[in-house]
Amino acid sequence: MTIDFVLNGKPQKTQIRSGDRLVYVLQKLGDFPSLIPDCLGGNCGRCLVFMDGRLIYSCLTPAFKAKGSSIVTYEGFSATEDCKDIIYGLKQASAFPCNFCRKAKIMMIADLLKRIPLPEETDIMEQMSIVSCPCTDPVSLAKAVLLSAECRNKRKFKRADK
Amino acid sequence: MTAKQTSESLPILSSLAFPDMLFASIIRSRAARAQNNLLNQPNLPAGYRIIAPSGILAQGLSLVTASGLSVFADKEISYQGEPLGLVVGPDPLLCDELAQTTDSSFEALEPDLGWESFSSSQIAYRKTLVQGDPEKAFEKAANVEKAVYHNGVFDHHYSEPMGALAAWEYDKMAIYCASQWPAHVRDSVAAVLKVPAADIVVKVTELGMALDGRLWLPSLVACQAAIAARLCRRPVKILFSRKEDYLYTSKQARSAVTIKSATDANGQFLALDIKIILNIGAYNPMAEELVNQAMSAITGLYVCPSIRLEAYAVRTNILPLGALGSIGSSHAFFAIEAHINHLASLIQKTPAEIKAVNIISKGHSNFGAEPLESEIPFLRISRKLEQLSDYRRKYASYELVKKRDPGCREGIVRGIALTLGYQTDQSFFESPSMNTYIVEVTLDRNLALSIDTHGAVGSEALRAMWKTTAAGVLSMSENDVHILPPVCNSAIQCGPMTLSRGATIINSLVERASRALQKKRFRETLPITSRAQIRLPHRLAWDSRSLRGQPFSGASWCGTAIEIEIDPLTGEPSPLSVWMVIDAGRIIVYDRAIASLRASILNALNLCIGDEFDPEGSSDDRYLYQRQIKPSSYPAINIEFLESEKASRPRGLGELPFVTLPAAFYSALTQAIGVEPRQLPLRGSEILRLLEAE
Repeated sequence: MTIDFVLNGKPQKTQIRSGDRLVYVLQKLGDFPSLIPDCLGGNCGRCLVFMDGRLIYSCLTPAFKAKGSSIVTYEGFSATEDCKDIIYGLKQASAFPCNFCRKAKIMMIADLLKRIPLPEETDIMEQMSIVSCPCTDPVSLAKAVLLSAECRNKRKFKRADK
Repeated sequence: MTAKQTSESLPILSSLAFPDMLFASIIRSRAARAQNNLLNQPNLPAGYRIIAPSGILAQGLSLVTASGLSVFADKEISYQGEPLGLVVGPDPLLCDELAQTTDSSFEALEPDLGWESFSSSQIAYRKTLVQGDPEKAFEKAANVEKAVYHNGVFDHHYSEPMGALAAWEYDKMAIYCASQWPAHVRDSVAAVLKVPAADIVVKVTELGMALDGRLWLPSLVACQAAIAARLCRRPVKILFSRKEDYLYTSKQARSAVTIKSATDANGQFLALDIKIILNIGAYNPMAEELVNQAMSAITGLYVCPSIRLEAYAVRTNILPLGALGSIGSSHAFFAIEAHINHLASLIQKTPAEIKAVNIISKGHSNFGAEPLESEIPFLRISRKLEQLSDYRRKYASYELVKKRDPGCREGIVRGIALTLGYQTDQSFFESPSMNTYIVEVTLDRNLALSIDTHGAVGSEALRAMWKTTAAGVLSMSENDVHILPPVCNSAIQCGPMTLSRGATIINSLVERASRALQKKRFRETLPITSRAQIRLPHRLAWDSRSLRGQPFSGASWCGTAIEIEIDPLTGEPSPLSVWMVIDAGRIIVYDRAIASLRASILNALNLCIGDEFDPEGSSDDRYLYQRQIKPSSYPAINIEFLESEKASRPRGLGELPFVTLPAAFYSALTQAIGVEPRQLPLRGSEILRLLEAE
């Protein structure tokens, strides 16, 4: 079948088969280093994308579900101010996820901050289970989330500069 | 890769691709032990080919690496899943399918799976040491106790499955792989291709948390990719699937440690008779190192006048087993700490009291070693840890609860334990390839400093440490310091990144090279390069044959306490709090050290609660993602560094959680359930069974 959707702001039209996983379809459409399908079971989080603003595991999502949707990968998200806030928060908190999961963890934080602009520790810990890579110290990561939230809110509400 | 690229952005093997690249999948043996193996060549689609040992030999290549490992099983098969050949082609999925359907004919033999009682032909390495007169001591002693402690096959979820990519770069072959020991990869590939080592360039890809599971196995996969690239004259990539990585990559060796002890009424050791058996699977080039590290660790903590110690590395027909998290020492620490718990329950003392009367300190020695010259801060660590964790009160309370309510009907099933341990940066290998390290620093015309570690790979925390060290010496901003990607492209031998040598040896070389460069600065024109090199055996007073010498040079000391709770309905243990007190010398980047330790503690706990890999059993997908502690259930972690040692040189600390936590976890578990299972890891169902039996 043919589906059309918007990928990182650009309209796409592609042929898929009924059993195709979305992650593989996206990989064929361009160079997306953030998509490293590994577990294919919704554990590692290395295939996270936003579909119509919702964070999804693209390895578990059938490609046909993308029809008519708007998909944003890390490559699309990285150009936004929201992403810069998160990178700032990670640096300030000295939280450095490994190269395998860094992009997935940024997407994970972005999703949390989108849903809960001022998250509490329990919210952060709950969200962390989305990406299973245990490379990063959870305390530093939680601190990074709070700093990112602070930075983002300051920017959005035009408070003091970061 | 451009010359300016730094190791902050190492490539990821899964994402690497070259024009005209082919993929290879490994054809694996179905028998655990067989002879006269012959690969049946099926009809293949156009563009696909099978690479078998006979074809490799016919092309004048070798099947054996520089360290004597076989790249493919030729006639004899020694474990189920052993590589027999490759299917090479343009579609990785079809290659996988073809590799799984390619069969071989063989004469099956009865596999050797027994290892606790074994034949002499199974011994890969053995060592015996005797000190004093153990027999006499056992005859006279008031208390003689004997117990066997088992460690299962632990596995670690690697950041990326095993793989390698081989591609021609004009007149050299470039190997891309995630290895802790790039020089070993280079020498292995050179040996199988029968070319000089200088013709091979190893470019290390992102490693993630390797835990010593990427020491020598990547060399074999790199050889397989290199052979395929040579025969096909195109770039070839091998990347295991997650399942393949889980089933066929090296794991921590199984161990059985038998300890017979003679003690006086206070619990002081009079004699120890210890037998360590490590099941290393079909083969392991690190067998000698594993045995020596285990022997050193088991006698390292406590003093005893008479010891008989024998250790064996035993071969069986299962996949190669080796190091994980610590090379052999965690088995030893687990066994000796578990035995002290056992003694404590027999003579009605706390484990901490027994440790206090036996702990090694300044002036003591084992195995005829010269008395220790420096003070080992175990007593200080132990006191601090007791204070932080409120150990004595909690231990007494949980003992009381256990006595009042043996069946745990009130639902409070908790335990607390405290263990001591250490890690050193010493290897028992005498080969220069294992013990030589080189660092080069270059200050360029833009006043940017680049650090070349000649293949030594560092984690993010280590890279930050090296940068801070160099920037501190040269009084420059850390932003102007870059770590070059680890490339191994010359005849220089650079040892493996293991035993926390990144923090100890490489960091000290960065410091030395930076100081040498500082002396040249303002005297010579830019760019200025300075090099520092070390070959370890000259500096270490440690005889690997007799275990005589100063075994603790460069050691970090640590005490770990853990409090756990058992779910009385499911038997699942959950850690509530972890405390660590560490003397690791000077801490260069305090926040990074703490963050790195916290991550290591969680990884070590995941190993403790994880399921045991069953190398003789059938594969099971549920193990592909191992049980992990949920982030919402992470224990409180409290880490303290001893202040008085801050001025000394930095020492390693990354392995301390892996060395001490299994023993602490087991001891806390024992207190909680009131039974000594004498094995790790333990599933919730087994704990529940023990609890119900109690």
